[in-house]
Amino acid sequence: MFYLNQLPNQRENEKVVLFLRRHWFAVLIIIVAFISLTGLPILVGWFYLETIKDWISNPVIGLIFVISSSIYFLSIWLVTLIEFTDYYLDTWIITNERIINVEQEGLFHRTASELDLAAVQDATAEIRGILQTVFTFGNVFVQTAAEKGRFHFKNIDNPEHVKEIVTKLVEEDKKRVYSKT
Amino acid sequence: MFTFPELTLPVSIFLLLYGAYLLLFLFYSLFNIYHLIRYGLYGFGLYLIITVFAGGTILLVSGSIFLLMKYDWSQPIFVNGLIETYGNNLLPEGFVEF
Repeated sequence: MFYLNQLPNQRENEKVVLFLRRHWFAVLIIIVAFISLTGLPILVGWFYLETIKDWISNPVIGLIFVISSSIYFLSIWLVTLIEFTDYYLDTWIITNERIINVEQEGLFHRTASELDLAAVQDATAEIRGILQTVFTFGNVFVQTAAEKGRFHFKNIDNPEHVKEIVTKLVEEDKKRVYSKT
Repeated sequence: MFTFPELTLPVSIFLLLYGAYLLLFLFYSLFNIYHLIRYGLYGFGLYLIITVFAGGTILLVSGSIFLLMKYDWSQPIFVNGLIETYGNNLLPEGFVEF
């Protein structure tokens, strides 16, 4: 478990400015998928209730039906948790000195990286498509001087505002770094 | 005339399969919860997710066990007669047999 006031390798006078996760639309998709996958079989079962009762009363078909239904619903429940964990653990932390990116890709793949604000060359906000325009979410790309140094904030809320904050923090950090040298 | 030998399977074989699935479910769930606790941000939301997931799992598993308890697990299944016995009455009325 980590705390926002105790970041990994926290520097002196470093403060968290923004803590970002993907937009709530990502959670909505998980919830809609969960409701559809559980609701549809329940609805069909309700429609054919008499047949289901016959199946359940049968000593062999009944137990196969109960076990397979149980496995189906438990699997949906588990996949929902895995998807939610993926959402919950994908985070971007912007401090007054650096950007920390923690990404969870499935259960067994996790990437954590960080970038000094002074190394940032350019920040770009992107809102693409009807859904992103209506719900105001999208991507922010932070480019460094290094060829592959590109940070990607995926599907975050209000990307233009985040880009403005990053740009402002980069300017402040560069002034601070150059004033020291 | 060639005849198949009478094959019987104990019904409890399904219980073993279900048990194996539950073990797999438990492994993935605990691994996921470990991830949430180890890498998640401290806060109320984290405890809420774990509680909701654990509560839902307990409800689903206990509901299934409650339904499974009423079956006789010692009875055998006669494989040869299975389709003849149950095949005709499986589908609800209105389904056309091909």
